[in-house]
Amino acid sequence: MSRVIVVTSGKGGVGKTTTSASISAGLALKGYKVAVIDFDVGLRNLDLIMGCERRVVYDFVNVVQGEATLNQALIRDKRTKNLYILAASQTRDKDALTQEGVGKVIDDLKEDGFDFIICDSPAGIEKGAQLALYFADEAIVVTNPEVSSVRDSDRILGILQAKSKRAEGGDEPIIEHLVLTRYNPSRVETGEMLSVEDVTDLLNIKLLGVIPESEQVLNASNSGQPVILDEDSDAAHAYMDVVDRFLGEEKEHRFLIAEKKGLFKKIFGK
Amino acid sequence: MSKIVDLKGSILSLTVLNLFSDQIDETKKAIAAKIEQAPDFFVGIPIVLEPQITLKDPTFLALLVEYLTQLQMIPIGIRTEDEAIKEQAEYAGLAIFPREKLKNRPKRTKNEPEEGLKTALMVKNSVRSGQQIYAKDRDLIVMGSINPGAEVVADGHVHVFGKVMGKVFAGSSGDTQAKIFAKQLNPELVCIAGMYQLSEDIDESFKNGFIEISLNDGKLVFNPGLLD
Ligand SMILES: Nc1ncnc2c1ncn2[C@@H]1O[C@H](COP(=O)(O)OP(=O)(O)OP(=O)(O)O)[C@@H](O)[C@H]1O
Ligand SMILES: [Mg+2]
Repeated sequence: MSRVIVVTSGKGGVGKTTTSASISAGLALKGYKVAVIDFDVGLRNLDLIMGCERRVVYDFVNVVQGEATLNQALIRDKRTKNLYILAASQTRDKDALTQEGVGKVIDDLKEDGFDFIICDSPAGIEKGAQLALYFADEAIVVTNPEVSSVRDSDRILGILQAKSKRAEGGDEPIIEHLVLTRYNPSRVETGEMLSVEDVTDLLNIKLLGVIPESEQVLNASNSGQPVILDEDSDAAHAYMDVVDRFLGEEKEHRFLIAEKKGLFKKIFGK
Repeated sequence: MSKIVDLKGSILSLTVLNLFSDQIDETKKAIAAKIEQAPDFFVGIPIVLEPQITLKDPTFLALLVEYLTQLQMIPIGIRTEDEAIKEQAEYAGLAIFPREKLKNRPKRTKNEPEEGLKTALMVKNSVRSGQQIYAKDRDLIVMGSINPGAEVVADGHVHVFGKVMGKVFAGSSGDTQAKIFAKQLNPELVCIAGMYQLSEDIDESFKNGFIEISLNDGKLVFNPGLLD
């Protein structure tokens, strides 16, 4: 049975696309058939992070508008088997997506036997974000450890409860998960950032994982590959844990405590 | 000159600002003139807007809210049935109060059965930022928390089994006997029958553990001792 998962946040720039790319790749590595859709029309960048920007012929808008078939638009990932990308359009405006059209694409993906359909939401709480979450069965809410990001996540959780297809139809509510990213334990210790407990206390949803702040994330996206594939980075391990927990495995949370600076690091800086 | 604004007490025991003009500048001037008559009275009062005309300028409400906030009033909501105004209100961050008279039969909403016993309106989860809950003619029970940026209003009592971090209004149609109960309190605002207090005016000692708030002689009274 297919599951539709929206990756959303309210606030912009918190790591939705990074998370969508890594979770999609992670699920595909586990053998699931995965489609990841960029809902950020006008600002496409999922294809950059996935390293397939030069292979976009048709995009999501073309399919929704009936200008291309789904098969023409789905881009097969070169590294990971079973992973497909549906890019956003850079040239259309965001009204090009209709609820009906998006619903049809999602139904077709289900029919094609995709196990997971990951929807990378645009920022905000307006139409674009609402369309990305409308058909979701589960939501991964991406939050940074700061007040405004947490507040926006709270807001988007309210919208998930009220404005999704499941809410409108009175079905089982969307299953909500939290990914806390760009976490920097030493800045938490000095009180510059909120702690995991501060965030989970307020949002009160299940924590899928904490992704540490890591330079590897930017390096990975510059080289066009999801950071989860970079086996040397903490962020990759953290995202792999997220995927395992998402699939139901119990795993202890890590990357929560500041690494003690050794004498060497103290003398020479980082 | 015709009336530009007038102020009157309302069934919500909140001050209602009636709007008779859709011109922001002349409205601002008229408000300033009102306030000059009794400057202290207006500081910090919650205000409900009630447009008596259609507002064609889509920025009118946002500008007005900003102006009222500058004057240290607290615009909390709007009473209107006009869809266009409701949309503006959403952008301006205003709650929408139904416009019907108190005596009318309450309108049916998703949460409220039309017939039968008026038991408390029960909310099983937390009320999240941006959400508003209104328990008309009844008590409100919230099993979770009232998160920052959320707002709950009841004509009866309000019971919160989590933390209160947003705004809470009890006795909103004027019942001075209404109370607020909370497992923990660190609100943006608490209000009973129109008397309100902001977080900074609430003694820190009341912000740990269970608290009961009631209205006594026109003053909010905080009582932590109820459980032991
Ligand atoms: N764990 C991390 N450590 C360091 N940098 C990160 C981390 N996660 C994301 N970033 C950086 O944050 C920026 C925003 O990330 P991303 O594009 O994934 O966010 P987004 O929520 O999709 O943004 P938008 O709202 O614009 O769609 C990028 O530059 C990315 O490299
Ligand atoms: Mg993005």
